[in-house]
Amino acid sequence: MWCGAFRLKRAGNPLSGPVCQRRMTLVDHKKGVIEEMMMEEQAGMVKLSSSVSRRGFLKGCSLAAAALGLSEAMIPKLLEAAESAQRPTVIWLHFQECTGCTESLLRGSHPDIGRLILDIISLDYHETIMVPSGHQAEKSLHDSVEKNSGKFILVVEGAIPTAENGNFCKIAGRTAMDILAEVGPRAAAVIALGTCASFGGIQAAAPNPTGAKGVQELLSGVPIVNISGCPPNPVTFLGTVLHYLTFKRLPNCDKMGRPLFAYGRRIHDHCERRAHFDEGRFAEEFGDHGHKNGYCLYKVGCKGPETFSNCPAARFNDVDVWPVSVGHGCVGCTEPDFWDTMTPFYERLPEVAIPGTGIIADADSVGKKILGVAAAGAAIHAAAGIIKSKTKKG
Amino acid sequence: MTYEIKNVWSILLRLFHWSLVLSIIALVVTGLYVNTPWTNTTLEGSVSFPMATMRYIHFVAGYLFAAAIAVRLFLYIFGNRQERIWDILPITPRNIRSFVTTLGYYSYISDRHDPRLGHNVLAGSTYIVTIVAAIFQLISGFYLLFPEAGFWQGLGNGIFGSQQQGRFVHHLLMWYFILFAFVHVYMVVWNDVKSPEGLVSSMINGKKFKHKNA
Ligand code: HEM
Ligand code: SF4
Ligand code: SF4
Repeated sequence: MWCGAFRLKRAGNPLSGPVCQRRMTLVDHKKGVIEEMMMEEQAGMVKLSSSVSRRGFLKGCSLAAAALGLSEAMIPKLLEAAESAQRPTVIWLHFQECTGCTESLLRGSHPDIGRLILDIISLDYHETIMVPSGHQAEKSLHDSVEKNSGKFILVVEGAIPTAENGNFCKIAGRTAMDILAEVGPRAAAVIALGTCASFGGIQAAAPNPTGAKGVQELLSGVPIVNISGCPPNPVTFLGTVLHYLTFKRLPNCDKMGRPLFAYGRRIHDHCERRAHFDEGRFAEEFGDHGHKNGYCLYKVGCKGPETFSNCPAARFNDVDVWPVSVGHGCVGCTEPDFWDTMTPFYERLPEVAIPGTGIIADADSVGKKILGVAAAGAAIHAAAGIIKSKTKKG
Repeated sequence: MTYEIKNVWSILLRLFHWSLVLSIIALVVTGLYVNTPWTNTTLEGSVSFPMATMRYIHFVAGYLFAAAIAVRLFLYIFGNRQERIWDILPITPRNIRSFVTTLGYYSYISDRHDPRLGHNVLAGSTYIVTIVAAIFQLISGFYLLFPEAGFWQGLGNGIFGSQQQGRFVHHLLMWYFILFAFVHVYMVVWNDVKSPEGLVSSMINGKKFKHKNA
């Protein structure tokens, strides 16, 4: 049933050629029948929404295995780990953020991933979805930390403001800095979920008035993994959790602490528009001939060449899309300081600010101006030399 | 007037110089293309690969550039008297004097000219700055070329930060090289006019002409 619903969705997706064709022929010849089928399948999906089916469970684990780059032979191991009786305790802290990471995980159009995660972990504290509030909530956090000290996984969402003693973010009267300093060192491992928790995110954009920082800058002595992205892909998060459950350690990471299985490669190096890049076919502006024909988005500011992520492979929202597939360049959301270094989003490089002048312009126009000044300087210098030698002779 | 012909630049130094010239020209042209590809092939299946070709030339020239810099660093230590770094580093009294004299000479304040065989120290100092800039250009270039290799990732990340920051520095340094090339060519020609000693041709045949009794 679930699988049927999945196929139904794909049928509406122009990118999945064969399935789409099948639907067309069916529509042509037996219109009535297929409409009935769709109704049934949709009803099936509604029925499913209360729990994860065995199929959904398998599919989620296979997705995670594929994202992790594991062979099919490993899937039973993942399943075993995911189904084991001891579900790891997870404490989920929200700091300076928009909750978009949780939203995209739990309320996306791929409900099974979110539910699967909730199925394989024991979520003791998560402000967005837990029932208790007020003192009760604080008590459950405290109890869980005490009971599972050294054993729980800590998920952090959002940056931690550090300016003015961290007063910019307080929960139950305590600053984010205090809470992290208390809970963090007692975790077995920390997952920084999203670019804010990883690198500070938009809060840390210049001039960073609240002194926002990512977890790794404030916590040491505990293994930390950064699942960056704005928002991060739920599949990457699921893969990391399953990796931890199966192998009892966090996945291998790059120099910025991001798991290599998801952030080991540049977007540009596995983008479906790459052939257009190499052949020099570009969209010059949105809506032009090149854009309509699906050419490379490099000249409209795509940051794929400098961004590490699995977006072209993992894709989003169960409809197999990612920004570049629908005609918008990558904005580099998985990279540190992307609000400062990837903007202007529709240009290739950041702008140059000349200190003390208030001039902000792109590097090439500044370069050309400086070159012009140098040329004028050389001309004056040469002229002065000529005048000097003339006057000396005369 | 009588002149004496002196051997100044070794063949290795001249090779370094012209490799650097050639690679910088190629790197600036292809680098600008990589930044703003000015052609746009709307013909599909034309198999022209302009971007791939430009990048290829850029990388080949990048290796030439790297080799040239390595040779220059070698010569700073093991080259002949004029080529060694002690001849141009503005830290010894003799070199500081040359630096100041040349400053006065270039700005028409005095007519006194440093008669040394190798570089005057003002020029020599800008060359050292340029070699340092070249090393950073190399590191950022290889960081962009091998983003997944642990060595370059560690180095690039430590010095520049993310790939985008590395790319930005790489692009800004290009403008340093453009400016340097312009000023360098102007000053060399100016010197050749002001005090004829075969400065331009010395980089081709390695020889300078010096006054016998100077
Ligand atoms: C004088 C020396 C050099 C100059 C002027 C230069 C210039 C440039 C410029 C302007 C860009 C485009 C960056 C952008 O705006 O996006 C670029 C890209 C690049 N350069 Fe260089 N470069 C130099 C040396 C090197 C060296 C030594 C290497 C190492 C092999 C190198 C490797 C690269 C790479 C890998 C890219 C990125 C190409 C891409 O992602 O498509 N460059 N260079
Ligand atoms: S669309 Fe972006 S990621 Fe894809 S090939 Fe072009 S520049 Fe690279
Ligand atoms: S395509 Fe780029 S901007 Fe979009 S989610 Fe992926 S890394 Fe972030």
